[in-house]
Amino acid sequence: MSDQPTPDFRPAKPLTDEELLHAHEQITATEKDDGGSYKLLPLVLLFLFSGLIFFGGTYLNLFSGHFSPKIFDERNLPHAHEDPNALPVKIDMVAYGKKQYESFCHTCHQPNGLGIPGAFPPLAKSEWVQDSEERLIRIVLHGLNGPVSVAGVTFNGIMPAAGPTGAGWSDDRIAAVLTYIRQEWGNKAGPIATEKVTEVRTKDGTRKEWTAVELEKIP
Amino acid sequence: MITHAPSTAATAAPSETDLTARKPLGMLLAAAFLWLLVSGGLSLVTAIQLHTPGFLADCAMFTHGRAQALQETVFIYGWAANAAFAVAVWILGRLSGAPLRGVGLMTVGTFFWNLAVLVGLVAIAVGELTGIPFLQMPAYVHPFLLVAGAAIATPGILAWTGRRITTMFAAQWYAVAALLLFVWSYSTAQVLLLASPVHGVAQAVVAAWFAETEVSLWLIPVALAAAYYLLPKISGRVIPNYDYAPHGFWTLIFFASFTGARSLVGAPVPAWIPTLAIVCSSLLLFHYFVLGLNLRAGLAGGRGNPILSFVSAGLLVYLLGGIVTAVFAFRGFAQIVQFTFFPVAQLKLMLAGAFSLPIFGAIYFLAPRVTGVAWPSTALIRAHFVLTVLGLTVTVVSLAIAGWVQGHGLLDPAKNFAAIAASTKPWLLAATAGEAIFLLGSVIAAFHFFRLQCAACRGLLCGSPATLEASAS
Repeated sequence: MSDQPTPDFRPAKPLTDEELLHAHEQITATEKDDGGSYKLLPLVLLFLFSGLIFFGGTYLNLFSGHFSPKIFDERNLPHAHEDPNALPVKIDMVAYGKKQYESFCHTCHQPNGLGIPGAFPPLAKSEWVQDSEERLIRIVLHGLNGPVSVAGVTFNGIMPAAGPTGAGWSDDRIAAVLTYIRQEWGNKAGPIATEKVTEVRTKDGTRKEWTAVELEKIP
Repeated sequence: MITHAPSTAATAAPSETDLTARKPLGMLLAAAFLWLLVSGGLSLVTAIQLHTPGFLADCAMFTHGRAQALQETVFIYGWAANAAFAVAVWILGRLSGAPLRGVGLMTVGTFFWNLAVLVGLVAIAVGELTGIPFLQMPAYVHPFLLVAGAAIATPGILAWTGRRITTMFAAQWYAVAALLLFVWSYSTAQVLLLASPVHGVAQAVVAAWFAETEVSLWLIPVALAAAYYLLPKISGRVIPNYDYAPHGFWTLIFFASFTGARSLVGAPVPAWIPTLAIVCSSLLLFHYFVLGLNLRAGLAGGRGNPILSFVSAGLLVYLLGGIVTAVFAFRGFAQIVQFTFFPVAQLKLMLAGAFSLPIFGAIYFLAPRVTGVAWPSTALIRAHFVLTVLGLTVTVVSLAIAGWVQGHGLLDPAKNFAAIAASTKPWLLAATAGEAIFLLGSVIAAFHFFRLQCAACRGLLCGSPATLEASAS
């Protein structure tokens, strides 16, 4: 090149654009089978790429933090530092019970716990809610049928069972909702334990709805 | 290996593509060279400020933060964008075998692109910068740039869709991908970072993605297109193992945009994001392998041809940069070099080396064909090559060492900050020298280019047959 005074870099053996295109088209178009022998390069490339993918997959598996949006340190995975003696998480029974109440009970007894006069009895300031645990658990567990006097007013309807014979609620759900209604709307009774609900359920088994008269015999 | 004898008939007249491209390409390249000089000057200023903090510290627009943002913006949107558009459109036009269509759009687009860049730079100078890497200009400038950029790219896309020769060559894949992916990543980043910014750490993730796509999926593919086009044309030999070129292409397209988040190692982002970026940086090694396989003829050196020297130096830098990126993406290394001069050196290697060197080669190849006038001097081209490679090597190596020293110092709680800064000073002085050498090379290249343009204008004014020197090959 240096002997050329005015270079325009015309190559010694130039390829025109058309030659360039067609020469390379020939390579890709005529993929010949070389009489049973195979080329080494495709295998090398295949192994190289497979190796990289294998490495990448392994690395991703080790350090991706399970693709969790909450894991920022790839080596500090939560399960690695879990304490096997850790206490189970405490559930706030009132909040849990409120959820149950709002999912089911509030249609009749109303969100304010006052019920509907003449149709559904109130829970607020109700002696049935605040007095005997045994009776209250049985009403929710098995239901109540027939006339009942609440705060001096008589209602005549049917309360469906939430226990195994009705909605199929677990004992802790029932305990939670009862704990909730016993401290809400000015009610001032203590919480009801899940164990107490379990105890009553095992004692009475499955049965039809109670009547108020039957319940009043229970302390 | 197939070689082709020169076709005697084709060398006389200039190609139609070159004639139609004369005006817009002249504008794009003139703008590119002007911005390159500005960028070189600003690089020198920021490099000096790193070891002499008082330098220009009283002048608000040259305080380090603004000077840095100005330099980055001038380099990307001034030099790199103009040059990349010119080379990509020219290669697509050449390989379509037809004159360029939509040239008026390109000319108008070039004018408005550079006007918008100028407005953006003034805005940065008065302090209206966004602080987002590669998106420093204020939000109102970017939509104009997007439209102008799309207008400049249109003749390239039209040349590709309406090509007379239906075959596709690797250079065309890379050039088309670059033009389309530019619009994709630039518009996405504008929406997600400026128009209605995403919240919290997602912003850092998007910013890292954008910075990576700008380099790896817009600028670098144009340089690769130039390499794929120039090597077989100049050597007269087809690309070896060309059948594997598609694998190299698709691995880049698929994995490159995921690698951006490697800079977020240790940041408050979900661990899988940097992990995926590290894995994809490793997977890109396959791309570099195929590229080395295809373009290994160029790696052997220029054999006296200055254009091949530029292209092969660029390829070497690209492969080296790829390996360095893959290795230093890993957390063990990243924790040392993060927030040091090392990533600065890596970016410089990719932008000033892997991108700019093949693009210089392409400009030296296309300018005489487009203008119809030969380069005034081979010595100037050689001087540019030597100065550019020398300046780049000195800058990148010193910054990398400075970063390594700095990174180890920062991890040592016993060392105080002033001592660390003092330990990097000799390397930063060397980097400044490198920047000065690089700038000198750019001055020579720009001077040479404008002499060529003047010669071409004189030729047109005198009505002499300017096509004499143009080669259709």
